Amino acid sequence: MRRVVGLVFLCAIVLSGTFAMSMTEEEKWTQFSGKGIVLHFLTEDTPAAGAIVSLLPEFEKKTGIKVEVTRTNVADLVTKLMLELGAGSSEIDVIYNARWQILPAFSDVLVDVSKFQQDPTLPHIPMDDFFKAHLIATSFFVDEKRQIAIPHDASTMIWFYRKDIFDKYREQFMAEKGYDWTPGPNITWDQYYEICDWINKNVPEVKYGAGHMAKQWNSLYCDFSNVFWSFGARGFENPKTESYGAIFPGRCLWDSPEAIEAAKFYKKLITEVAHPSSVGWDWASLAEAFAKGDEIAMCFNWHDYMMMFEDPTRSKVVGKVGVALMPKGKDGRSHNYYSGAGLSINGYIPEDRQKAAWLFLVWQADIPVQKEIFKMGSTPVRKSVYEDPEVKDWIRNGTYPGAKIAPVMLEAWKEENLEYVEAKIPQFVETLIIQYTHLSYMLEGKETPEEAMKRIVEEVNQATGYSKLIEQSK
Amino acid sequence: MSGFFKGLSGGEDMGFRNVELWMVLPAICVLVFISVYPFVFTIRLSFMDYPMIVTRNPIFTGFKNWIRMFSDVKTRQYWMVTLKYAVGALSLEMVLGFIVALLLSKLRFLQDLFTALMTVPLFFAPVLVGLLGRFLFHESYGIYTYFLRQVGLLRGVPSIFGYGPAAFFALICLDVWEWTPLVVIILLAGLKSLPQEIFEAAQVDGITTLQEVWYLTLPLLKRVILVALLVRTMDVIKYFDHILVTTRGGPADATKTISVAVYDQAFQAYQMGYAATLTVSALVVTMVLAQLFVRFVTGRSME
Repeated sequence: MRRVVGLVFLCAIVLSGTFAMSMTEEEKWTQFSGKGIVLHFLTEDTPAAGAIVSLLPEFEKKTGIKVEVTRTNVADLVTKLMLELGAGSSEIDVIYNARWQILPAFSDVLVDVSKFQQDPTLPHIPMDDFFKAHLIATSFFVDEKRQIAIPHDASTMIWFYRKDIFDKYREQFMAEKGYDWTPGPNITWDQYYEICDWINKNVPEVKYGAGHMAKQWNSLYCDFSNVFWSFGARGFENPKTESYGAIFPGRCLWDSPEAIEAAKFYKKLITEVAHPSSVGWDWASLAEAFAKGDEIAMCFNWHDYMMMFEDPTRSKVVGKVGVALMPKGKDGRSHNYYSGAGLSINGYIPEDRQKAAWLFLVWQADIPVQKEIFKMGSTPVRKSVYEDPEVKDWIRNGTYPGAKIAPVMLEAWKEENLEYVEAKIPQFVETLIIQYTHLSYMLEGKETPEEAMKRIVEEVNQATGYSKLIEQSK
Repeated sequence: MSGFFKGLSGGEDMGFRNVELWMVLPAICVLVFISVYPFVFTIRLSFMDYPMIVTRNPIFTGFKNWIRMFSDVKTRQYWMVTLKYAVGALSLEMVLGFIVALLLSKLRFLQDLFTALMTVPLFFAPVLVGLLGRFLFHESYGIYTYFLRQVGLLRGVPSIFGYGPAAFFALICLDVWEWTPLVVIILLAGLKSLPQEIFEAAQVDGITTLQEVWYLTLPLLKRVILVALLVRTMDVIKYFDHILVTTRGGPADATKTISVAVYDQAFQAYQMGYAATLTVSALVVTMVLAQLFVRFVTGRSME
C-alpha cells in the first residue's frame, strides 16, 4: 500500500513538473485569465505610478487580470497600509512599500517573493539587473534570504541649481572667492554656505541663494540628514540599520560630536543664509519655490522633481536647471540620500491572487514599462534599461526630464555615493517624529543644538527599547 | 432606563408602549455597536501598549499610558496650544458672529440673500479650507501674505507658516472664516425669536442702540449664545484638518493641538495605546466643559 501511495505521489510530482516545463511563456501570463481576479494596487502618487496606470490596459490584455490603482500621498498611504495590514486585511494586493515606514513594521506579513522566482509556472525577474544598493534597501528586512519586495522607484536627493545664474556669475564669483562654484561633489558644505551668502548679496534675479525643506515634518529629517551624514555622524550603533535592517538598533548616536557639529552647521545655514520660508517648506513647497524662478537659485530635493521643473505649465525655469551630486562631506565623498521604494505582495491574500500579483510585479519591472517610466520623467530601476540603444539616445539628447538627470543619477547610485539614511528599524516612524520635532525646536531657538541632540538620543533610546534594555542589564 | 427594561420584560405599561420599545430596540443595538463598543474599546486600549506593528504584540500595561500623559511636558504643551487656540478662535467667532447677526437682523431688504451668502464657508470641507489657507498664506504667491507684507504687518516674520505666532494666528483666522457663519446662523435665529414688545417699550423710553444691545439683546440672547459657544467649543477641541494640511503642528510644536498629537501617536508612531489615552482625556475635557455650559444654561440663567 505504501509503495502504491509513494508511486502515485511520484507520478504527481513528475506530471506537474512536466506540465510546468511544458507551459509556454504565453500560458504563464494567461493562466489567471477568465478567473475574474481584480488586483488592488495602493501606491504613492509618483511618476512611476503614473506610467504604470497609463500602461495598465496592456497588462490587462496580456493577462486577463484587472488592476485597480489607488494613488495617494505618502502620509495617507502609510496610514492606510498600517490600518489594513494591522487588521490582517486582504483588501490590498500590491503594496507600494513606502521606504522604511512599512517594510520594517510589517515585514512578517509581506510575501517572500523568492518562492515565485523558483516557480517554473511563473515568469521571473532577473534580480541582478537591479542596482544592488536599491535591492538591499527596498527588498529585505533583517533576513537576507527572505526577499519581500522588488525595487520600484529610486527617489534620491540631488542638488538642483539654476544653470543660467551659475554661468552668468561664474567669473565674478571666482574673481572674488578664488574657486569655481559649479555645484557638485567638489564643493564642500562650508563653500555651499558661502555660495548661498554670496548669491543673497549679489544676484538680483533671485531673492535668496538657497531654500530648504525645514518644515516640522519628514522633510526636515531628510534635509538635516544631508548635512548629518556628510559630517560623519551615524544614526545607531548597529550598522545593519543602514542596510538590511535590525530589530535592535543599539544606542542612538545623535549626540556624537559629529552630530552636534552637523546640527550647529545646519542651524546656521537655515537661520542665517537660507530663504526664511525654508522653515515652513516641505519638499513639494520647496520645489514650487524653485520652479517659480525668482525665489531661490539652489535646492536639495528628490530627483523626480526634475519632471516638474521641466514642465512649462508648472515651472518658469524650464531649460535652466542643472543637477549635480550633493556637496562633499568631511570624509571627502558625496552623500546622496536614497529613499526609494519597492513593491510588495500582501501575505493575507490567497495563493492565486499572490501569483497574479507577482505577474503584475514582473510586468511593471519589464523593460518596456521601465522605458515608459523614463518618458514620464522618472528614472528606471533596471540597469539594462540604460544600455538600451533608444534610451542611450534619449540620454545623449536629453529628450525627457529623466534622461537629463540620468547621468547624475547613475553616479549617485554608485555604492560609494549612496547613503541609506532612514534607519531600517520597526520603530522608525516613532524615532522620526522625535528627531524632526527637536530639530524644529532647535531652528526656532527653543533648544540649543546640544540640547536638541541630547533629547533626541534620550527619547529615541526610549522608543527603541534601548534604555529599558540597559536598565534591565544593570 | 429601568422603565425601558420593565417594558421589554412585560411589566407595567404593557400593550402599545411595549411595541414601541421593541421597535426602538434595533436602533439601540446599532447605536451600541457603532458607538458604545468603540468607546469601551478605546478605554481598554488606553491601558495597553498597542503598537500596531506586527513585530510587537499588544500588552496590558495598566496605568503606564496615563502616568506618561500626566508627566509628559509635551502633552501639557499640546493642551496649552489647544486652550489658547480655543480661547482665540471662540472669542473672535462669538464677537464677530454676534455683530454680523445683529446687522443681518436689522436688514429690511435682502436679509435672506445675505444670510445665504454668509453660510458659504460652511459648505467647504475643512481640508479644503486648509488647502485654501495654504495657498492664501503662501510665502511666494499667497495674496494675503502679499498684502500683509505691503502694509508692514509681517515685519520680522520670515514666513507665516514658518514662524510660530504667525502660523498660530493664521490658523485661527482660517477657523474664524469657516465657522463664524455657524455662530451667525444660531444667533440670528435667536435674535428673531426675541419678544419685540420689550424693544418697542424701551425705544419709547428713549434707549440708545448701545444700551439696547447691552441691557436687552445680550441678556435675552444669553442662552442662545451659550448654545453656540457649546457647539463651537466641542468642535475647537477636535480641531485638526486645517493644521494637518498647513503646518502639521509646527514649527516647534507651536500649532500642535491635542488632536494632532493623537493623530501623530496613532497613525505616525503606531502607538494606539497612548493615542487612546489622549483621546479619552480629550473626551473627558469636552464632557466637563459641556456639562458646565449646560448647567450654566439650565441652572444659573434660569434664576
